[in-house]
Amino acid sequence: MNAPTPTRKYDLGFARWVRDNIDHAERMNMCMQCGVCSGSCPLRNEMDNGPRKTFMMVRAGMKEEVLKSSTLWNCVSCYSCVVRCPREVPVKYILHGLLTYAIEQGYQEAQDTDNYKFASAFWNVAAGSGRVDERVFTAKFYLKYGIGGLISKGMANQKIAMGMIKSGRMPLFAAPHKIKGKGDLKKILAKAAEIEKTKHASLRDGER
Amino acid sequence: MSKKFAYYPGCSSEASAVHLDKSTRAVFKTLDLELQDIEDWNCCGASVGHLAGGNTANSALSARTMALAQAQDAGDIATPCAACYLNTHEVNEHIREDAEFKGEMNEALGAAGQSYDGELLVRHTCEILVNEAGYDAIKEKVTKPLEGLKVAGYVGCQTVRPFASTERGGKYAEYDDPDFLDRFSELCGAEAIDFKHRTACCGGSVAVMSPDRTLHLMKDILQEAQEKGADVISTPCPLCLQNVEMYQAQINAKFGTDFNIPVVFHTQLMAVAMGLSDEEAGLKNHMIPADVVKEKAK
Repeated sequence: MNAPTPTRKYDLGFARWVRDNIDHAERMNMCMQCGVCSGSCPLRNEMDNGPRKTFMMVRAGMKEEVLKSSTLWNCVSCYSCVVRCPREVPVKYILHGLLTYAIEQGYQEAQDTDNYKFASAFWNVAAGSGRVDERVFTAKFYLKYGIGGLISKGMANQKIAMGMIKSGRMPLFAAPHKIKGKGDLKKILAKAAEIEKTKHASLRDGER
Repeated sequence: MSKKFAYYPGCSSEASAVHLDKSTRAVFKTLDLELQDIEDWNCCGASVGHLAGGNTANSALSARTMALAQAQDAGDIATPCAACYLNTHEVNEHIREDAEFKGEMNEALGAAGQSYDGELLVRHTCEILVNEAGYDAIKEKVTKPLEGLKVAGYVGCQTVRPFASTERGGKYAEYDDPDFLDRFSELCGAEAIDFKHRTACCGGSVAVMSPDRTLHLMKDILQEAQEKGADVISTPCPLCLQNVEMYQAQINAKFGTDFNIPVVFHTQLMAVAMGLSDEEAGLKNHMIPADVVKEKAK
């Protein structure tokens, strides 16, 4: 059999960049491609590549393919990969870091996901009110799909909502849950966002 | 003297998991463990906050709650919510191990005149039940054993992963094969079935945002419980309960199954077995009625 002919030149730039810029990615160098992460992943079959292959693709410099990969948004945060990795690579954290970066960089594939709509509605309520009132949050999440989405998703989950109301787990008339220190929280989060922005700006200077 | 904790109930305690909150408070009181609410606690960011808010701001959510707890001087933090536990415990450990991160958190907190030094321990209420109350003390309080009740103990993910077997996590459970939940059921006089899906994932927040990607995960969990004749599924996790209970009708429609299995919290089983009231046990807060638990209590 002939030796395989390499069709792609390895570009280590992306791997280095990921290592230096994605939180917790410094341990990615330790990955030995054993596949315990992918084998442990409950949604492996929903993913195009799975974590093991994704890490190899990072090493191969396949930036575009990685940042558009469905592997990033099918992570369910079960932490099986994190506790099982024999090299203590925090797999889940790196996948979410890559997803956050893909969203930040405007990759449509990542921005169009249910995950991003869900996360931004969630963050909006958590940061704005200090507590996530499930009624407010659900409405904001459905609205991310437009008025049509609000109606169709609302209809599809009508029975669940009725069940929640009847079982006393969705208070109909109570005011939206919120904290007293909303102003304080706003200041804290603004400061934190500023710290992160400054840090990323200096780290990500070397990019592109 | 009873041991005191700064209690962090989490957002789900105000809606979908009111029965976890009620039964936790009632059981802790019975076991002489005092829970003092953290005044004005906030959301932990759950498993998605960082995707939209960024890691630093998301961590600052937990930092604020810990700063409030510390100012209140009510002892270590106790939370019954898997996500609150994971996020807050993680940020706390990060603050303790990484001076730069500690500085960032305190710079953010400083914007509101607050600070936090990392001196508290963030504990899961299951770990407190095992390590502080102890199995024997729980058993002593059982007055109405749940004779003949078959329970599928469903631990889920974030209650135990990634911290349950770490030193600071209390070393009370294995990641893949934890036994504490089955022991809780048995202490209550019930029978714990050998449940292989005990730490399988229900889909977590992905199940809430896009059920189609994850219904099959919940189907497998329910199927094993049904095949092994479980009367109820017991779980410590608010999101596991929510997903595995509320999606049964959709799962039946998609897979042609006929699931109608009540899902309860471990503390509800304890509350009933300890002879506490229906209100304290939160028995009325089920979409699929869990009356079978009370019927078995002798």
